[in-house]
Amino acid sequence: MIDFSLVEGETLWERWQYFAQTTPENEAIIHWSSVKEPVRWTYSSLINTANKFSVLLKNTGIKKGDVCALIIRHNPYFYPLYMAITGIGALPSVLAYPNPRLHPEKFRQGLEGMTLRSGLDWILTERALEEMILPFVQNEKTTVNELYFPLEWNLENEIDSKSVQELSDIRVEIKPEEPMLLQHSSGTTGLQKPVSLSHSATLKHVENYGKSINLSDEDKVVSWLPLYHDMGLIAAFHVPLASGIPSIQIDPFEWVLAPILLFMAISEEKATLTWLPNFAYNLMADKLSDEEMEDISLESLRMVCNCSEPVRSESHKKFQERFEKYGFAQSALAAMYAMAETTLAVSQTTPGERAEEVSVDREMLANGSVVVSNDKTKNRVCVSSGKLLNDCSLKIVNEFRNELPGETVGEIAVKSVSMFSGYRNYPEKTAEVLDKDGWFYTGDIGFVVDEELYVIGRKKDIIIVAGNNIYPEDVEDIVSKVDKVVPGRIIAFGEDDPELGTEQVSIVAETKLETEADFDKLRVSILRAGMEINVNIHSVYLVPPRWLIKSSSGKPSRKANKERILSRTDKKVWSKK
Amino acid sequence: MISDRLKKIICEELYLDPSTIEINDETQAPEVPGWDSLNHANIIVAIEKDYGVRFKGLEVLKCNNVGALQNLVNSKVSD
Repeated sequence: MIDFSLVEGETLWERWQYFAQTTPENEAIIHWSSVKEPVRWTYSSLINTANKFSVLLKNTGIKKGDVCALIIRHNPYFYPLYMAITGIGALPSVLAYPNPRLHPEKFRQGLEGMTLRSGLDWILTERALEEMILPFVQNEKTTVNELYFPLEWNLENEIDSKSVQELSDIRVEIKPEEPMLLQHSSGTTGLQKPVSLSHSATLKHVENYGKSINLSDEDKVVSWLPLYHDMGLIAAFHVPLASGIPSIQIDPFEWVLAPILLFMAISEEKATLTWLPNFAYNLMADKLSDEEMEDISLESLRMVCNCSEPVRSESHKKFQERFEKYGFAQSALAAMYAMAETTLAVSQTTPGERAEEVSVDREMLANGSVVVSNDKTKNRVCVSSGKLLNDCSLKIVNEFRNELPGETVGEIAVKSVSMFSGYRNYPEKTAEVLDKDGWFYTGDIGFVVDEELYVIGRKKDIIIVAGNNIYPEDVEDIVSKVDKVVPGRIIAFGEDDPELGTEQVSIVAETKLETEADFDKLRVSILRAGMEINVNIHSVYLVPPRWLIKSSSGKPSRKANKERILSRTDKKVWSKK
Repeated sequence: MISDRLKKIICEELYLDPSTIEINDETQAPEVPGWDSLNHANIIVAIEKDYGVRFKGLEVLKCNNVGALQNLVNSKVSD
């Protein structure tokens, strides 16, 4: 195991530099590509390139505390650029690269929503996005100073001694308790919640999480997760990089088209650790043929950690049964409970042991009690997300935030040494979720049995599709504008897709239309509206005016209407599926 | 040139009416309503099943539009 007490560096930059000095030729990041040989960064080459970027960034006017949005596709120079921002005390904020289906105006609105809270100062991107982003940067109300294309910068020249001294002067002033990075929750129209994390919170988490998974010098991380997502950024990038072990980074866009890439990288590089959202277990087990799996060995894997959406027992079973013959050990089936607000993990299953499962009475569970039941007709198998990490506390609370006794279902509240200090420039949202004693109320529902945490649902209406959070409000707003939909008379909700092992977005919309052909056309218009905000609407249910049940606030109730739709008893409901 | 057969498979998988949806050689997946990364695997499986062929993930990865997918199908069928 890595002895973190021997590792130096109180800021991220100092930590990276420590490894560049003590193990300069060790591999730090292996940038994987399906068509080219991987680019292999050592700690030394990475820090040298990052230093060059730091000088160039500084010369453009970026200074300590500035927020730099990074909107860049899978590129080997992304990593030193990210590090270079940290190396001058500015805050990198990785944003999703826009999908071609996303409407440019919607993309700009998303950026605008972010500037409201996080005050984006600079945008570092690719030339291909210039036309799309420029109108936003030129807008009078924007906080963004300038748009840069750092992948075009010249990195040939060595740094002169004056610049070395200037960088050194800047770095001495970066303090461990100061913010180091900024993450944004999903959402397109100002619903994003920016979370900033300090150097010390991040490094403390690297240590606590590293210990929880018995991280050792022999480990090698592999990941296809996007780096704008906390699981990709923290688990698969920061944890290995600040622990002195290599990570293999795969393009998420390529992985989703060719999931075999993950296994090819594991097999060729003998990787030991990876993190996946639940849907990936189903996707890989269902879609990878024996022909594709030829020559693949999964023997090196000691932990595949399920996170970012509810963990399903059947997904673990399916994955294990499918890949056992390729050397996958069932003891590698792991899980964790994590969120950006606590840097990442709160709990983690025990390394070398398959994630625990408990079979409970479904009806009793719905009523708040955890009662073990082996009656297959009425039980629900829940998968543990493991035990608490060091320096983390947890309690299960009722609706009044009073602590509940063990084996009772309630909202999960957490406290951690790696806790965020509140949403940036969003005091009212912070006050909703963080109390004066430092407890963060997660909105997730779960219970604890034998010190193992089981997460079974959530209080909030957020829809989690393949590990990505989608706000129903965003989808409802855009569908409300579709011609022939009764404005404001829409609900969006998450519908379970057991085959894929995730949720999908469903829409219920009122319309005055009546014919099959008109319904068909309206369905396509609604799907297209979702595409504009990069949300794939999976099911469209069309209903006549005044069909939707209203809540006490006068708005259509998501919960009541979801139940009504899923009861599938009303013949007035039109749907293609 | 996209065959009616390929277009029909894609549209059936996405519950679309082929007569109202434009799909040509240059069409990319994100331009077709409902064709997202999660549905992509289902569409590929439906094409494999209908034509009785198998694709490798890396072959599909190289297809950047429907025209390239049609060429891949043609090459498999003629094998």
